[in-house]
Amino acid sequence: MTENKIVRKPGVCIPWEEKLKELPPIKGDAELVKKVWEDTDALGYIYIWHCLLSF
Amino acid sequence: MAKDTERLYGERLKRYVTALRNGKPDKVPIRPFVAEFTAKYAGYNCQQVAHDYNLAFEAACKCAADFDWDAVVANMVYVWTGLTEAIGTNYYAVPGIHVPAGTGFQYREPSQEKAFMRPDEYDALIEDPTGFLFNVWLPRVSNDVVPAGEPVTFRNNLSFLKGGMAMMQYFTAFGPQVQRLRTECGTPGAIAGILKAPLDIIADKMRGYLGLVDDLMEQPEKVLAACEALMPHLLHVALSGADPQKNAPIAIWMHRGCVPFVMQKHFDTIFWPTLKPIIEEIWARGHQTLFYAEGKWGAHLDAFAELPDQSIIYHCDQDDIFQVHKKLHHKFAISGGVPNYLLGVGTPDEVRACCKKIIDGVAKDGGYIMDASAIVQNDAKIENVKAMTDFTREYGVY
Repeated sequence: MTENKIVRKPGVCIPWEEKLKELPPIKGDAELVKKVWEDTDALGYIYIWHCLLSF
Repeated sequence: MAKDTERLYGERLKRYVTALRNGKPDKVPIRPFVAEFTAKYAGYNCQQVAHDYNLAFEAACKCAADFDWDAVVANMVYVWTGLTEAIGTNYYAVPGIHVPAGTGFQYREPSQEKAFMRPDEYDALIEDPTGFLFNVWLPRVSNDVVPAGEPVTFRNNLSFLKGGMAMMQYFTAFGPQVQRLRTECGTPGAIAGILKAPLDIIADKMRGYLGLVDDLMEQPEKVLAACEALMPHLLHVALSGADPQKNAPIAIWMHRGCVPFVMQKHFDTIFWPTLKPIIEEIWARGHQTLFYAEGKWGAHLDAFAELPDQSIIYHCDQDDIFQVHKKLHHKFAISGGVPNYLLGVGTPDEVRACCKKIIDGVAKDGGYIMDASAIVQNDAKIENVKAMTDFTREYGVY
């Protein structure tokens, strides 16, 4: 149910802000965790939109 | 030899880009969108190039090496059916499986009752387009993906795993293919990135054409809102595949947003207001858009002329190319115009006469790129494609 209320911007499947809520306090480089999350999350976005547009 | 190929690449790129910008290069550039024709020329069938993209890449390279073309698409037989089969996609007729091996892949639109999106689902699409695609659309277009909330299956999991890895494999292979075209053939890439109009994508992949026209009459405000919701995503995907060098244009494949598929008022109030801002934003970021105007879009040339100078290249399919030239040449380059039926059933002399007429009437001041009207498939005769190429090279010198 909560997933339906997520506002997904272009390029995003699961926003970092949502993922962050699930994580314990980050002990190391939070920006690195955020960047890598967003980069890999974008692959899911590319997958579904190319299924729609390209294939 | 490598230096010669690199010099050739540079000459062709300059020629192509000059014409794309509506300028006058040294010669009329030649950029045929050759799809299954490449298979025919290279000795493959449609199944081989659709189902094994390495063979499609080979065929594209063989054509680029043998024909004096200024730009090509790295693989115009774009749909790798190995990938769509891995996902479980159910709307393709795959060569060698659903249609004969010698027939190109086909898109099969479902009946209106089995459309991939129901008429009462616009709000869900509008609220969360990406979520809708994953949760509602994909389970309907894939035989393996189960709808959200239903028990997960082995086939469901494999669809995402194999589909994701296969898509990555395919997209990653384009980089070396583009480099190979450059180093082995001296041929630049013709396009980079993909765009479709919001209204077209609703017709093509969601509601179907018949469903869309019902909706345009019965709930046009929902169609407009859905198009508006799709806009930022379509822009994002288009820019994510664009040429970092800003030479090759993003291609928009234009399908059913024109009169008479839709009424003029629906073009004016829905199709164009939800496409024009995307094109303007793409141009603001420094990229041109190639309007691959499949069919006839002549009723909308005045609307297209509202766009900034040089922001698009208008590819002419079944419109009167001389009328298109009158209306658009002062702002945009034009490509295409050689009828595919002529390449299929005409003679080389007839092809040469057609090319002469186009070059005389459309290319005189530059801003023209020679191409067939539509994507060249395996019905085109090799001698006719040669005639189009060789005549343009000889006669199309400024």
